Amino acid sequence: MRIVILAALMMTLVSAFVLYSSNYDTRQLEERVADQERAIEKARGDIAVLKAERAHLGRPERIEPLARAMGLGPATEQQLAASAAEALARATAESAAAPHKGGR
Amino acid sequence: MSIAPDDIDQAGADAGDAGMAGPRGANGPLRTLIATVGMALFFMAIGAQLVRLALMGLGEDSISLTSTVAQSFARPDIVDRNGRLLATDVEAYSLFADPARVIDRDEVVEKLALVFSDLDRAALRKDLSDRSRRFVWVRRGLSPRTAQEVHDLGLPGLDFRRELRRAYPGGRLAGHLLGYVNIDNKGVAGIERYVDDVVGVESVQGATLAERPPVRLSIDIGVQHAVEAELADAVRRYEAKGAAGLVLDVNSGEVLAAASLPTVDPARPNMSLDTGNLDKIAGSTFELGSVFKTLTVAMALDAALVTPETVVDVRKELPAGRFTIKDLHPLRRPLSVAEIFIHSSNVGAAILATQAGTPHVQDFLRRLQLLEPMRTEAGPIAAPQLPQRWGDVETMTIAYGHGIAVAPLQFAAAAATAINGGHKLTPTFIKRQPDSSIAEIPLLSTATSDSMRVLMRRNVADRVGTGKRAEVNGYEVGGKTGTAEMPGVGGYREKAVISSFLAAFPMSNPRYLVFVLLFEPKGTQEAGGEVLASRNAAPTAGRVVARVGPLLGLLPAQAAAPGASSVAFDGASPAKYEAR
Repeated sequence: MRIVILAALMMTLVSAFVLYSSNYDTRQLEERVADQERAIEKARGDIAVLKAERAHLGRPERIEPLARAMGLGPATEQQLAASAAEALARATAESAAAPHKGGR
Repeated sequence: MSIAPDDIDQAGADAGDAGMAGPRGANGPLRTLIATVGMALFFMAIGAQLVRLALMGLGEDSISLTSTVAQSFARPDIVDRNGRLLATDVEAYSLFADPARVIDRDEVVEKLALVFSDLDRAALRKDLSDRSRRFVWVRRGLSPRTAQEVHDLGLPGLDFRRELRRAYPGGRLAGHLLGYVNIDNKGVAGIERYVDDVVGVESVQGATLAERPPVRLSIDIGVQHAVEAELADAVRRYEAKGAAGLVLDVNSGEVLAAASLPTVDPARPNMSLDTGNLDKIAGSTFELGSVFKTLTVAMALDAALVTPETVVDVRKELPAGRFTIKDLHPLRRPLSVAEIFIHSSNVGAAILATQAGTPHVQDFLRRLQLLEPMRTEAGPIAAPQLPQRWGDVETMTIAYGHGIAVAPLQFAAAAATAINGGHKLTPTFIKRQPDSSIAEIPLLSTATSDSMRVLMRRNVADRVGTGKRAEVNGYEVGGKTGTAEMPGVGGYREKAVISSFLAAFPMSNPRYLVFVLLFEPKGTQEAGGEVLASRNAAPTAGRVVARVGPLLGLLPAQAAAPGASSVAFDGASPAKYEAR
């Protein structure tokens, strides 16, 4: 009988300790989850801002003057061909016809 | 606890034999048992409580006090047909004051005025003097830098909330179409309103971004910019007061670009409310003039009253009520129906309409959805303005586009029906799913549509055609000019016109319709001193086609091999700019 009671006492103490430590772990994990959720939230916010900034920097209103300053222009119907081979043939013919003129 | 197990057994065995167990002997084991069970229950309760706490935690220990004060909405992004961003939510700081905690009211107001130069000091002082309030907005939607400046002032009683704020990275691009939101991030007009009403927004505290997938418009940012840039160029060239233009897919009804100059910034809602900045594509109606003859001729052909070769005597001016209908450049000979279209004869168009009769004209225009109010995702289109009494005189003037005022988008949808094979077209600003089939409701015969294609092409390809300045090498442009005098006080103003050009390409199998309008252009040197659409709107439409054709991936005729696909690349190739 005494052994049983001692064993029960030990069990109680051990389980109390296990419970306490797992409770402690849980809280730590909860804090980590909250931290990571905050980090995710922040990252999402940052992504939204970066996406908006990328779109803002890539807006045609800004790109067009820059491209024109580099000597580029809107694509013309002359620059479209049905296949790569045809485009090559056309370019060769053009450069043969007018060797001094740069393609544009 | 002091009795050994043996003793209990013995006591139990002895009880029967002796028959005289004392009160202490009988109670001892029972009391022990009760104590043991009690202790066990006690420990079990503690254990259960520990388990409960471990599993559930302590619960929420923070209470939100400002929940009812500041509510805002998380909105899905708006992207163009290729996934390029047009509108998104970003986090911003909003400054509020707690009057009960403000120590020196005047110091707060004066120091804040250093950061916000346009601060209304009197109003803020009044707000702060009411100590019973615990929450007063000072300024919302601050950038992080401004928020830091305010923070550095170190004033007690001020605090920030993180909120969502709508950002339009494209600036003014497609501003009219996008609409705008109010300070709580709720859609008020345009597509933003559609997002609230149909797609749905999430009511949030603080700055939680929306989880919904983006709203995908039919607009193509590249095409939209090209149209806006060419229109701005035309406004400069012809010294016009405004301009509008749209690109419409004649088969699916998708609008690829809708521009109205002067443009508005969706981030500044006040701009959109200015009457000078009204949307000219869907928000206003105009008497469009001769472009309307496209529909008159289509009606006459569809009713089989005439063929393009039928000759009509247009030499005499037509009396119509108080005035007479005459041609601008009369040719003084009978014209075929095709020539009426190409030379834009008012008399000819009026004769064709009279021949059909008023009920038939009304029926035809109703079938093309021109007489009823129409709506798109961006809200209702301005309702058509019809004559109050529609008699034969009105039928004659409507034949060449006067006496009826419609929104350009609604007209473009009707005109597209005349060339897309004759099926019904409903304009949309939302991209269609590639697999969704469009129910083809025939409104006109295919033969009518074929004839109209030929006529419109001739009007541009012909040396005498009014639209010859819209020609673009390889794209088989077809179209019709329109120069409409604008109504003024007590009649029409002769030199104030709306010149427009209705174009479509490629005419052998039309894919896109381009409609360009210039408001009150001047007879500049470039336009030969004239305000006619053939000198300003037609070349503008030509420049728009030349620029958007390659963007849309259309292969010009000279490059396409016979029988091969007319598409150079898939302009709608998915996920090119996809962010996710």
